[in-house]
Amino acid sequence: MNQIPDIKPHTTAMLVGPAAALMFGVFVLPFLFLLVLSFWSQVPGSLQFDTYLTVLNYARIFGDSYYLGGLWTTLWLSGLVTVICLLLAMPLARWIVLRAGPAKGLLIGLSILPLVCGALLPTLGLVNLLSPLGFINGALKSLGLIQSSLPLLGNITGVAIGLVQAFLPLMILPLITTMERLPQEYEKAAMSLGARRLVVWQRIILPLLLPGIVAGSLLVFCASLTAFVTPQVLGQGKVVTFASLAYQQAALVLDWPFASALAIVMLIFLGLAGMLGALVTRKFGKAS
Amino acid sequence: MKSRFSDAMTLAVVLAILLFILAPILVLLFSAFDGGNIFRFPPRTYSLRWFEAAFNHPEYRSSLWISTLLGVIATVIAVSLASLAAFGLVRGRPRYRFAVEVLLLAPLTLPLVVWAIALLSIYAELGMNGTLTGLILAHVTITLPFAARIMIATLNEIDPRLEAAAKSLGATPVQVLRRITLPLALPGLLSSSAIAFLVSFNDVVVTTLIAGAGWITFPVRTFSRLRTEGIDPTTIAIGAMIVAFTLLLILVGQRLFQLSRRF
Amino acid sequence: MKRIACYAAVAAVGLFPCLPASAQDFSGHTLTVGTWGGDIERLLREHVAGPLEAKTGAKVEFLLGGSGDRLSKMAAERNNPTMDVTFQNIYEAPLALKDGLVAAPDAAAVPNAADVWPGMNEGCYAMSLVGLGIAYSKSLFPEPPEWADLWQPEFKGMMAYAPYPSSEGDGMLAVAARVAGADEHNPDAAFAKLAELGAPKLTYSSLDEVLSLMDSGEIAAAPMISGYVISNLENYEGIGFVFPQDPGPVLVRDMVCQVANSPEPELAQMFIDLALSVETQAAYAKELNFGPTNSKVELSESEAANVINTPEEVASLLQMDWPYVIAQRSAWTDRWNKEIMGQ
Repeated sequence: MNQIPDIKPHTTAMLVGPAAALMFGVFVLPFLFLLVLSFWSQVPGSLQFDTYLTVLNYARIFGDSYYLGGLWTTLWLSGLVTVICLLLAMPLARWIVLRAGPAKGLLIGLSILPLVCGALLPTLGLVNLLSPLGFINGALKSLGLIQSSLPLLGNITGVAIGLVQAFLPLMILPLITTMERLPQEYEKAAMSLGARRLVVWQRIILPLLLPGIVAGSLLVFCASLTAFVTPQVLGQGKVVTFASLAYQQAALVLDWPFASALAIVMLIFLGLAGMLGALVTRKFGKAS
Repeated sequence: MKSRFSDAMTLAVVLAILLFILAPILVLLFSAFDGGNIFRFPPRTYSLRWFEAAFNHPEYRSSLWISTLLGVIATVIAVSLASLAAFGLVRGRPRYRFAVEVLLLAPLTLPLVVWAIALLSIYAELGMNGTLTGLILAHVTITLPFAARIMIATLNEIDPRLEAAAKSLGATPVQVLRRITLPLALPGLLSSSAIAFLVSFNDVVVTTLIAGAGWITFPVRTFSRLRTEGIDPTTIAIGAMIVAFTLLLILVGQRLFQLSRRF
Repeated sequence: MKRIACYAAVAAVGLFPCLPASAQDFSGHTLTVGTWGGDIERLLREHVAGPLEAKTGAKVEFLLGGSGDRLSKMAAERNNPTMDVTFQNIYEAPLALKDGLVAAPDAAAVPNAADVWPGMNEGCYAMSLVGLGIAYSKSLFPEPPEWADLWQPEFKGMMAYAPYPSSEGDGMLAVAARVAGADEHNPDAAFAKLAELGAPKLTYSSLDEVLSLMDSGEIAAAPMISGYVISNLENYEGIGFVFPQDPGPVLVRDMVCQVANSPEPELAQMFIDLALSVETQAAYAKELNFGPTNSKVELSESEAANVINTPEEVASLLQMDWPYVIAQRSAWTDRWNKEIMGQ
């Protein structure tokens, strides 16, 4: 591949500029405000800020296993949801692209339906299916597979099921998009040359799909990280997540400085996770 | 023989995944025909009363219209900005590529409620609170990351040599864009538009805080009575109609697309 | 520009406080009212916004959301408010007044405010009276329970609560404290007693969630605010609702507030006056089971059955020290998360 840029630097800047400017004005400025806010404190029993700079909010988060635990749960739960989505979306997207034929459009439509009607309605539908007296437990019981109801609500299992159901489209669409561009001949040629299926996947298909996998994974991960309605309803308030903590503090307690500090700490964790990921990839890349 | 068996297995897996995705929506569709006053599954009696109610409710109609309008505007802006930026980042490979990619993803990592409160505070200082411009900017900001990510992936897959070849054969930049880049990027554009629109259409948290009184969207209306009164069965009927409409749109769109190719 | 207009309006009100409202034409003006969606919005449209629009030529627009959203909004845009009138909870109103977000109640500008039961216009104008009672599963409680009955060991872990902080959560803490022989000023006693009920089976974000699980007997009971629960009883044959005696139900009020420095102060006052009128208050009672605050409202016996509407009834209610509770909010939220939810 040539490494020479295809377009001139100032054209690049003009292309990237508008989006970057928007992000700066509407996202970065409020973010900087939050950063300052996180070093202020809320006057008890009032909505006014005490603008005396303090690290009290951070000390409260790092000194309390409740908040750190909630952030940690959210991180690994989002990772888990991302992996499950990838495992489910891969065969589905591949089948839709290669086999579905004329039904392709309809199938793509069906697979993005969870995004269509918002978080609330499908989540309430899931509550009906997963509840102790719901459809799934009823079916398993009548098949004689279980004796008493499986607890599928009010725990991590339920939240994970809900998040996977809600955000699978965010994985499926990027995968389909990149698979459309994947020449099928590559695979056939490699197979006809006697390469084993696994090798074909590892050497040819996965590298070509990588941009789609990265896009889908990032979207699902971030969406799970900040999801509010789905974990709240399916966790029945018992699963503490980043979004539920931030919502409680920002919208109910109205302690904006503390809510800001929570968001900043999560960003620090994400940055660390990203750096760790980059480090591992680099090492792994060198080794192979 | 073996391949037929594995085909059947693949099909079974695919159908199982689809069933998992669609099961809650099937519940929704059934419940929409419930004759009772509450959200219940399976329904005890069947009726069309909530569909009737949906059509006789001017507030729902106007809020659906507002959601659609806002979604379309936000999507057009977000997908345009995201595509331009993605094109610049992928083709120009600037040194600041990684930093901008992080910036374009960043809004997805903050809880929306915290960000929206900060944004509203800034809007209020600028006198922009409650304005349509402010609301559109906020919606573009929450949808742009999705579009940018997908467009970066899409453009990464397009071999720049195709464009170079067309150029060397004498195509103008506009021709290259129209004949080569855009057709190849079309699936990505469609995917990112779909996701951007749906994210904007369904947003509750940001719109509740940022929108002025003239811009009450459908989800904001739905959520504003959730804690106190519970869900309005009319909303479920509307949800069912949105699902049906989406599928219809896709089928018609696909058919038109095929027809347009034939001629 | 906007601000100058606003000051001008305030000055005008100051100069001509007795000017009859009907003499003024407000066509082209828009009044923005923040409230809950659903039946409340519908009733306000019918009984308040409609007549106001007809009388003044102004347009009334509703900004829908939860009361916490509105308090956040007021605080964020305190220097440049877009809302004129907002509906808040009993504990939010004094807080908003203390922080200068709302204008103090003024019976001179809002004549109907004088008919509100004495002492109720705290922070803002009192709009309706509701009480925190017990919604219970009839299959588990053949008789309507008292607060103390919830502490029977077989119901441990079978409660449902609203997300904390909320008037339901704070009210339940006040009740628990009294069951333990103290009051809310002794949070240790309150939390210890409430923890005995076990972690709740459900923290609900919509009314449907809690009512359907209670209907099937998976949830034994939940402290809930009268009004919508009562209106919903006809949909769920397995659920009952009771105002207990010992202590009485916790008094919760909806308040209607005039936002400080809002663009349309005069229209805001007219809106609030209509909201407090006998006609609107009676409609709230009849259609939503929300108790009137206007002392001149007269209800039939059947209408009054589910409604808190007399001074005697109000006196039997448990009145909490909300300013104290608000000051503890952050600390109590931490305790709730750990001692109630996380046990």
